[in-house]
Amino acid sequence: MVVRGLQAVSKAQNGVGAFILQCKRLEFNYCEMSGSSRGMKAFLKTRLATFAKENPGVEIVVSPRPKKHPIIRGSYINKREKVVCVRNLEVLQVLQKAELLRDASGDKIKKINKPVQSLNDSVRGIWSPYHAKGEDVYKV
Amino acid sequence: MRRVSRSTWDSLAVPRRCVCGNPIRLNDLLSSSFSTSSSSSSSSSLPSSVSTSSPSRPSSIPTIRSPSSLRPRASRPFSTSSPLAVIPSLLPTQSAKLAALHGRLGLPNKYPLATLGRALIDPTAEPEHHLNNDGLSNLGNVLLGYYASEYLMVQYPRLPYEILKTAMNGYIGPNALAAVGTEWGVEAAFAPGATVDPGLLQFNRVAPGTPLYKIQGGVGFNIPRKRNKMVPNFENNPSVDAELAAETPEMKAAREAQRPGQDATTLQLAMSSFVRAAVAGVYLHNGGLSATKEFVHAHVLSRKLDVDKLFQFEQPTRELSRLCVREGFQQPIARLEKETGRYSRHAVFIVGVYSGEEKLGEGQGSSLPEAKIKAAISALKGWYLYSPVSGVDLPSKTDENPLAKFMPAVIDVGDVVS
Repeated sequence: MVVRGLQAVSKAQNGVGAFILQCKRLEFNYCEMSGSSRGMKAFLKTRLATFAKENPGVEIVVSPRPKKHPIIRGSYINKREKVVCVRNLEVLQVLQKAELLRDASGDKIKKINKPVQSLNDSVRGIWSPYHAKGEDVYKV
Repeated sequence: MRRVSRSTWDSLAVPRRCVCGNPIRLNDLLSSSFSTSSSSSSSSSLPSSVSTSSPSRPSSIPTIRSPSSLRPRASRPFSTSSPLAVIPSLLPTQSAKLAALHGRLGLPNKYPLATLGRALIDPTAEPEHHLNNDGLSNLGNVLLGYYASEYLMVQYPRLPYEILKTAMNGYIGPNALAAVGTEWGVEAAFAPGATVDPGLLQFNRVAPGTPLYKIQGGVGFNIPRKRNKMVPNFENNPSVDAELAAETPEMKAAREAQRPGQDATTLQLAMSSFVRAAVAGVYLHNGGLSATKEFVHAHVLSRKLDVDKLFQFEQPTRELSRLCVREGFQQPIARLEKETGRYSRHAVFIVGVYSGEEKLGEGQGSSLPEAKIKAAISALKGWYLYSPVSGVDLPSKTDENPLAKFMPAVIDVGDVVS
């Protein structure tokens, strides 16, 4: 007559307690010569320092990518990557794209139909025909 | 040619290189650019060093790695006094990965990067005790055990000891802590070495096919699956019993004399010891027990663990009966409350278990014994999972201020033993 324990591992609920930003790393690639990198280079010169200071949890890497359009590549904790091409974009548009990648979770884009996603059981419980009384038997 | 994935490059610790062959890490630049008050020179140094890293200027790296970038500054904790021997090529203060991990965890400036870097070095990578995370990990283990056990004992005062141990393992066991570390975004180096970025977890990996019982903390025997199917390859991999039975007394003595886990460990164990060491760093640098408690509750105990799903009863009806005897309740009686389709394929019975007039629990099953057992389990869980609604304090409340107002929790007599 003993109780035995079934092994289980706690599950993460990011934001309950601590919040971990899911974007680990942002890599900014630009081309020295081509005109499509004009806004990107201006962003690197004027905005990137502030952006990096505001986001200490994101590793920021800058490297040239000659003869190609400029891109921003975000790496995420779920081991996925997101890449955004920022050719011909102005400085603020590049900043918007960088913020978009920073705020992304890294998951594939998916449609969320339910208003609430939770690991907790329903507070209301599941309707049971054996416990409802009278007319409520037929009310789900 | 197959493209080498970027994560592979990261794990090999090959830094991303520009055309000139020099890695550029902007956080390194920022460490110097924000350190001094002379913002005119620092703000201009950043774009110039970025834009000058063209193929024609391979000598741009000395400007990035100039000694001024190592100067401590007020805004971020980039000061270090003890460089680690395992990483002579790159100081912890020079690693963008490490600084990013520090920022991601929201650690304060008091927490130096050198400590976080040391927490990432497993004893299997660096046997020197003052350079690896062995001591930090032990300290963190004590702290985690303290906060997890007091939390569970106050939250569920009647939890049986076995379930308490399982719940502790679910919160602060190696599996759970390894998950915490992975969700912090910690990456592991392919192999420890001098060229590895200090922001990567360094440990010596176990050779493929090594029995798990030879690893410290490892349990059982890892049988490689044949072509990813659930068919163990017994011919090439005898069971642990067979291997243990086959060894001579000398071999057994040699195995027991050898301290396990000295030379290699698994990613999971290394990651969990990193998380423990990081907790110890919070205790050492962030302001003692109160900061540690906050950190442990935010990162470890805020996770979701269904304690009610950890129970496995052997004889629930008998245990419930013993419980009622011990507590002086009337003997439990199972009563059929509702039923449907008794002679059909899908019979449903609702059984409630009563002690006198009091209903202790209820179960539903497709047969009468099943419903009765489920009702007993429900009643036992109702007893064991009692949780005070509010107003109860954790004992650690008085750690900082011994005179703080303290509301003690229930102390239960324990689980039903017979």
